[in-house]
Amino acid sequence: MAQDIQQLRNIGISAHIDAGKTTLTERILYYTKRIHAVHEVKGKDGVGATMDSMDLERERGITIQSAATHCEWKGHTVNIIDTPGHVDFTIEVERALRVLDGSVLVLCAVGGVQSQSITVDRQMNRYKVPRLAFINKCDRSGASPYRVVDQLRQRLNHNAVLMEIPIGLEAEFKGIVDLVSMQAVYFEGLYGETLVTGDIPSQLLSETKARREELLDAVSMFSDELMEAIFEDQVTEELIRKAVRKGTLLRQLTPVFLGSAYKNIGVQPLLDGVNQYLPSPAEIENSALDLDADAVEVALTPDPQAPLVALAFKLEVTPYGQLTYLRIYQGSLSKGAELLNTRNRKRIKVGRLVMMHASEMEDAQQAEAGDIVALFGIDCFSGDTFTDGTVNYAMTSMRVPEPVVSLAVTPKDNKSSSQMSKAIHRFVREDPTFRSHVDQESGETIISGMGELHLEIYVERMRREFSAEVETGMPQVAYREAISRKADFNYTHKKQTGGAGQFGRVAGFMEPSEDQGYEFVNAVRGGAIPTEFIPAVEKGFQACLEKGLLLGFPILGMRITINDGNSHSVDSSELAFRQAAMGAFRQAYMGAKPLLLEPIMKVAVECPSDFQGSVMASISQRRGMITSSAEDGVFTTVEAEVPLAEMFGYATTLRSLTQGKAEFTMEFSRYHKVPDSIAEELKKTFADRLKGGKK
Amino acid sequence: MTTKSSLLKILEKSSRKGLGRGNLGVLVARAGVGKTACLVHIAMDKLLRNEKLVHASLQDSPEKVISYYNVIFSELVKALDLTNPSDTKALIDKNRMILAYLNQSFDLRRMRENLKNLREKVGFVPDTIIVDGLDFSKVGVEMFEGFKKLAKEFQVEVWFSALSKGTTGDTKPPVIPAPADKFHSFFSMIIELQPTQSGVELRLLKDHDSTTLLHETVLLDPKTFLARG
Repeated sequence: MAQDIQQLRNIGISAHIDAGKTTLTERILYYTKRIHAVHEVKGKDGVGATMDSMDLERERGITIQSAATHCEWKGHTVNIIDTPGHVDFTIEVERALRVLDGSVLVLCAVGGVQSQSITVDRQMNRYKVPRLAFINKCDRSGASPYRVVDQLRQRLNHNAVLMEIPIGLEAEFKGIVDLVSMQAVYFEGLYGETLVTGDIPSQLLSETKARREELLDAVSMFSDELMEAIFEDQVTEELIRKAVRKGTLLRQLTPVFLGSAYKNIGVQPLLDGVNQYLPSPAEIENSALDLDADAVEVALTPDPQAPLVALAFKLEVTPYGQLTYLRIYQGSLSKGAELLNTRNRKRIKVGRLVMMHASEMEDAQQAEAGDIVALFGIDCFSGDTFTDGTVNYAMTSMRVPEPVVSLAVTPKDNKSSSQMSKAIHRFVREDPTFRSHVDQESGETIISGMGELHLEIYVERMRREFSAEVETGMPQVAYREAISRKADFNYTHKKQTGGAGQFGRVAGFMEPSEDQGYEFVNAVRGGAIPTEFIPAVEKGFQACLEKGLLLGFPILGMRITINDGNSHSVDSSELAFRQAAMGAFRQAYMGAKPLLLEPIMKVAVECPSDFQGSVMASISQRRGMITSSAEDGVFTTVEAEVPLAEMFGYATTLRSLTQGKAEFTMEFSRYHKVPDSIAEELKKTFADRLKGGKK
Repeated sequence: MTTKSSLLKILEKSSRKGLGRGNLGVLVARAGVGKTACLVHIAMDKLLRNEKLVHASLQDSPEKVISYYNVIFSELVKALDLTNPSDTKALIDKNRMILAYLNQSFDLRRMRENLKNLREKVGFVPDTIIVDGLDFSKVGVEMFEGFKKLAKEFQVEVWFSALSKGTTGDTKPPVIPAPADKFHSFFSMIIELQPTQSGVELRLLKDHDSTTLLHETVLLDPKTFLARG
């Protein structure tokens, strides 16, 4: 795989769920000769698109897991990560964005910038990913690419410039006019594989001229040379392309391409755009934390001779064992080499090194900085960093949101029980937002994740991939507890009857803290608590935070200050002080007036404007606070903050309210106090459940 | 809590101590002087008095409008030394509703429908409407007739921002700059914003039916939009 790094592109394809990104990827693979036949998503031929490698994805017509693949286009190697479109799987998108150098934002020419596009775009901004936009489905009735460009500018604040204009639209969509080469381009052959260039149709001459001027105007900001050339009427294609590239890499310009992947129009120029305007790994700054030097940030160089640093960004189960996708940031990796996992200091040997093509693979001998490869038989978690052992670096972690929904799962029989454990064990490794624990009171296995659909998919995967038949309970909200005022404690733990004695006194106070974390302040003076026991005190308090005394939920936002105590020369020990801290916590907690907190979700509902009233009413009925309503053409997007507890089953409600014409996205926003009346009901429910459990 | 020493001073000193329900008012200025910031400041004052407000934006997305509010709010927190900013912020968010009309999708019929939905489906009844981004050079009198009707029907005061082609200078009696001059009869209050070296100066160009116009001008800090001195 060793080659010129300048000719390498690691890109993602992100979009709204129905924008057609899987079809686009399928066409890219066809044109780059990775596949030799084209299958559609939900294809009538029963084969399904190549990138949707899980059965479930093929069945539902959506991409759930990102599958990596690589292809070659005009002397460049392009690694593509196909990313999921549903917001419940955003960790997949986030993981893809973490390892990508550039991205293609696919938009539907009819639907335009939809709520999911906004979420995905926000994520791309967070990871500073330069991107191109591809306005797909220009052949559909109602296609309006110019409106979508306006939306890119207005709704996503992109400096979007058209690189092409369409020749015809809807059923008449025939090709594009390239505004750089000033030629008409048509796509002929069974799958549009033959490009035929020609003169610009006369009826498009004035539009072409106007759009070309718009393009030059926007990109000349990035090149003095081009600006001069415009004045002297000496503009060349190369000058334009250099300026577009500069603006794109600075993330101050978004070149926009047009087409219809389904009708085989406009895909090859987009691939040219990927080569020409998106960065190579050498043009992206990456850093890691040096664990041997107080986790100081160090820059990584994409040099194959430098010490190896690679990130495991995705795990997949295959019939041959666990497959680990790695992005190499520095150094090189070859078959048979030894790697160090810097998380657990375990050394592993590279047995088989492969390049992935969706669910098929090709063996490789070596890979270098910038490459995305997969290894077989490596025991690790998603997010682990590997080095060659000469450096001890960890890649900075990805933002992993806390799960907000949980579900009890019960195996139907013994065989399912062991299979379910295997499945959960696997999912936890694959997806950091998927968690699992056994509830101590009920003995049930609880799985937690980012939304109803997220968990639904995993339950389905248990059935299909692991043959585990499970029953599920009702989805439960991940509540939290927080104290609302300061309370003092002064607790002595004393056990001096029989055997070794235990003694420790801890005094101080607990109070709410503004951020939602935990803070421990040691203000003990004069050695009232010997220094060696302070960590035990801290640990004692920390252990209590996992389970509040109100309803047993984890505690957020608490500062604990200890300012006095007592010890005994013989009977004091770490255990005694840990117990004393736990006693002090129990003593003060209820006096600090604990409250119940619930997750509040940021919800965006997009619907035809006529349904605005019904949508607003449905949110209002769910204790939601509407923050805005934006009209754009015939569509309205209503944004609101709604407690997660009220959002279960909303998809069904919305469907019936709007004749299936609306859709919504939802992401975690913050924790907020549960209203008193609801908190009382919850307390009653939990008390009843506890009684029931004990019977 | 109110922003007492703010540009609202000029409103309080006006003949009817403000615009009043059922009336239209406009802030007129050249590009880049801070019309939107000034409108947001009027809005902030209402919100902090626990009044309900609709901010209608004809150009910017809700996200951008919220960021205007957040910037001005953080300046106010510093300038007024607010003791409990997170509670105040929650009050602002609760009382404010943003209606955005993107890509020239604004029409009065839709806005009326939106306000009706807010009243009937959500129980949100605004006291004030802020309309930002209406291009006065592209609308006719029927637009303001419609707004006047809307203001009466929903019993709200409506504030607009209007881009002017130039300033009128310190003329007496004051001249209303184009293109807002064509519609002056619809407005009960017209305030002009003029940039000066030390800040932004506010001049009252129309004050209901009062013929004796307040000659006093208020100088604003361009950052906080609070009155200076």
